[in-house]
Amino acid sequence: MSKPLPSASGHFRRSYADEFRLIETRLAKTSAAAFALVLLVFPFAVSPFYVDLATQVFLAAIGALALMLLTGIAGQISLGHAGLLAAGAFTTGILYKEFGAPFWVTLPSAALAGALLGVVFGLPSLRLRGLYLAVSTLALHFLVVYLGGEYETRRGFSTGILVDPPVVFGYEIYAPRVWYFVLLAAAALTLLICINLMRSRSGRAWRAIHSNETVAEALGIGIARYKLLAFVITSAITAMAGALFAYYRGFVSIEAFSLYLTIQYVAMIIIGGMGSLLGALLGALFVTLFPYVIEGAMAALPGADRLAGSVFAVNYAAFGIVMILFLVFEPQGLVGIWRRVRNYFLLWPFRQTALGERP
Amino acid sequence: MTVPLLAVDKLEVVYQRAITAIQGVSLKVSEGQIVAILGTNGAGKTTTLRAISGFLGLDDARVTEGTILFRGAHLENRPPHEITWRGLAIVPERDKVFPNLSVAENLAVVPRRRGTADGRSMEEVVYHFFPRLAELKRREAGLLSGGERQMLAIASGLMCAPDLLLIDELSLGLAPVAVGKLTESLVQIRDELGISILLVEQSASVALRIADYGYVLENGRVVLDGDAQRLLGHADIQEFYLGHAGGSRRSYRDVKQYRRSRRWYG
Amino acid sequence: MQLAVNILVLAAIYALIACGYVLIYRVSRVLNLAHGELMMLGAYMLVATASAFSMSPVMAVVIAALMSLAVGGMVYLFLMRRMTGEMVLAAVLTTVALGILIRGAVILIWSAQQYHPRAMLGWGNPVITLPGDARISLYAALLIMATVVVYGGLFLFLRFGRWGMRMRAAGQDPLLAAQRGINLHAVFALAWGLSTFTGALAGILIALDSGLDSTMVMIGLKAFPAALVGGLDSLAGALLGALIIAAAEVGVIRFIDPLLADVVPFIVLIAMLVIRPWGLFGTREELDRV
Ligand SMILES: Nc1ncnc2c1ncn2[C@@H]1O[C@H](COP(=O)(O)OP(=O)(O)OP(=O)(O)O)[C@@H](O)[C@H]1O
Ligand SMILES: [Mg+2]
Repeated sequence: MSKPLPSASGHFRRSYADEFRLIETRLAKTSAAAFALVLLVFPFAVSPFYVDLATQVFLAAIGALALMLLTGIAGQISLGHAGLLAAGAFTTGILYKEFGAPFWVTLPSAALAGALLGVVFGLPSLRLRGLYLAVSTLALHFLVVYLGGEYETRRGFSTGILVDPPVVFGYEIYAPRVWYFVLLAAAALTLLICINLMRSRSGRAWRAIHSNETVAEALGIGIARYKLLAFVITSAITAMAGALFAYYRGFVSIEAFSLYLTIQYVAMIIIGGMGSLLGALLGALFVTLFPYVIEGAMAALPGADRLAGSVFAVNYAAFGIVMILFLVFEPQGLVGIWRRVRNYFLLWPFRQTALGERP
Repeated sequence: MTVPLLAVDKLEVVYQRAITAIQGVSLKVSEGQIVAILGTNGAGKTTTLRAISGFLGLDDARVTEGTILFRGAHLENRPPHEITWRGLAIVPERDKVFPNLSVAENLAVVPRRRGTADGRSMEEVVYHFFPRLAELKRREAGLLSGGERQMLAIASGLMCAPDLLLIDELSLGLAPVAVGKLTESLVQIRDELGISILLVEQSASVALRIADYGYVLENGRVVLDGDAQRLLGHADIQEFYLGHAGGSRRSYRDVKQYRRSRRWYG
Repeated sequence: MQLAVNILVLAAIYALIACGYVLIYRVSRVLNLAHGELMMLGAYMLVATASAFSMSPVMAVVIAALMSLAVGGMVYLFLMRRMTGEMVLAAVLTTVALGILIRGAVILIWSAQQYHPRAMLGWGNPVITLPGDARISLYAALLIMATVVVYGGLFLFLRFGRWGMRMRAAGQDPLLAAQRGINLHAVFALAWGLSTFTGALAGILIALDSGLDSTMVMIGLKAFPAALVGGLDSLAGALLGALIIAAAEVGVIRFIDPLLADVVPFIVLIAMLVIRPWGLFGTREELDRV
């Protein structure tokens, strides 16, 4: 998508130490602390329904962050995200069902399975670009889903695999609030990993590959290695998200990993804003809450009970429309809107215009 | 004085919202004239022609200042096909033919505007001027030689039945003999069909031989213009474009200084 | 013998759908992932016209097909036109979003129940017995004929038709085409219209043969490997690709595992992407263009 607007924050880095800091200004520090506090208090202040909702957002955020690394940062298009989630969930489900494997075995195994699958998904990227890559990952999605379905039918779990809550140090993770904090921690950890990856050599290599592969290669960046690395990291994180999903739901079924799930994740990074980790978070929030908002809106409408049967269809249609609106009118997503609003207030009463554009 | 066919006034074009390629370029083409644009590489000749014939949104180039009037109507930032319909066709510098279409198909894809005044179809006219193309009718355009391709490109431009034909790099890839023939045909085309021509040409001697009027572009600005005869005799042209050494060698910088002052003081 | 007939019918279905992918890709380099949904929409149009024109069933079919032509053109003019000049990926994702929108809208309008347009039109579906004791339903036979006619028509149109030539020209070099006075929007809209029309034709015939619900989308999606295996920019390739995919699918169902049916096309696709990513008849340069 197009380049992000420059920020007009008025804050400049004045020493090398500044460059390494994660949180740069005092304002940023206070707002981050306030936000953290809100997150900590949240589950105790609201009903279990909202706790579950927040937990879903965290889960989605992990997957969205991972996809953002791959597509938004490294520029490798993947339409196989649901397949990766399925791989993680099924690794967990199978290991648990067949061998009664505990939490600390299944999770790393899911990550490993994801990483291996990442190599498989990534191999085409060494030869294919853009559209063709998207297509190959799409095909792999169907393959993974088929394998999962095959396992279900072969072993007679045609309705899905039941997974008991994980037990850590003799403590069963079951209560919604406990899950809230576990997944909050997981999402925060993923965010931290992603931020640091972006600042590392790999992050710079990915952005170089994204902006121009040929030039990146000419600059001596090992394209193949970094592309594969992007696929592997993304897939490993996504598969872990899949494993957590399996435990959280206590249930794994291939039905849950349709193409629509992939589209939802792709929508998260589009709606959030390509190339920005903040965008991934915003997108995850937006897309996860969207169906609930629609449902709420429809319930508020007159004749709500008549519409009840079509909630699902309205959801689809509305989701399609929102995606189109973002693609057409706001390709930089929610982050783009946020940046514009911020710049507007920072620069007020002046206005920012690009060169060659009449104000 | 009558309205000129094409009047470009103080044109400015910006690429990618950042690179200003031409600035304050003004030029005129009157009915029935052949006008030449000269200039070194990167001077902005192609940019000027493409601005006149319409950029496609894909290019991220925009006309930011100035006006382009064709028969008194504005053309700035109009879509290219509309400009062609109004009677202004271009023979571009690169990618001038459809490589996978045959010669005949290359000519046939052009939407019909009208035939010539004497009732011949444009196809007949084109084959009359470029008999070589008639022999190659069924050949795929991608398999043509560079010179044949250039002929086909000019022929396709003529198929649009324009009032004004823009030609970028007229003699690109043509044998000197072919250039001679081609320039003759162009004069003939102008005389018989009443098509005015605005051409870009690296070789000043070729261009000024057939042109009525010429403009010299440098760094995106018009630095010199005048009747072809006058330009041919001009010392700067002699020195920098025709390669005849002037009496006293001046440094490039002095020349620029001199030109600039002459532009300002007339 | 029956196996050959089954393969032929399935190949005809895939080919008829796949040419829609090829048409749009060839002209505008966009992969239309909403093609399956547009095809389904065409079939639902028939449901609408079938109740409106119950007097003259043929009329209903013709009007449904023509409406699809218009729908395709409008999709371009109102939506995809805005995506020209954007990155290819953005355009493709727009079609994905459009697909979701159509899916939702179709269920909203027609609900998720199954329809039998053939019964609505009061037509039968006699089984024809072919020499060699193979059997084929009337509408399956019609489908094969439609595929032959559509491909023949498209070949002639692209080869000799003035607008066909323009479509080829625009596909090769849009800027030059515009400079030669070709209205790109008209050409692209035409490509979208034709693509949707052929897709809808397939959808209508399938619905007449075996009924209609929203799972039809999957057939559309499975036809897309056929287009890619043959080469995304080649019509002849789509024909051959459809045959390969159909043969693989029917073979696997018959001899290995019916559950594999929905993945076989994608397995073939992966194999093709490994061996020869630009497809059997495609041009190699296409790989770098997108
Ligand atoms: N697509 C583009 N994006 C950015 N800058 C461009 C683009 N096209 C041309 N330019 C710049 O604009 C300036 C003028 O280029 P132009 O092609 O008009 O030159 P020219 O006079 O035709 O040269 P030549 O004789 O070599 O064909 C150059 O400095 C060039 O680098
Ligand atoms: Mg040039």
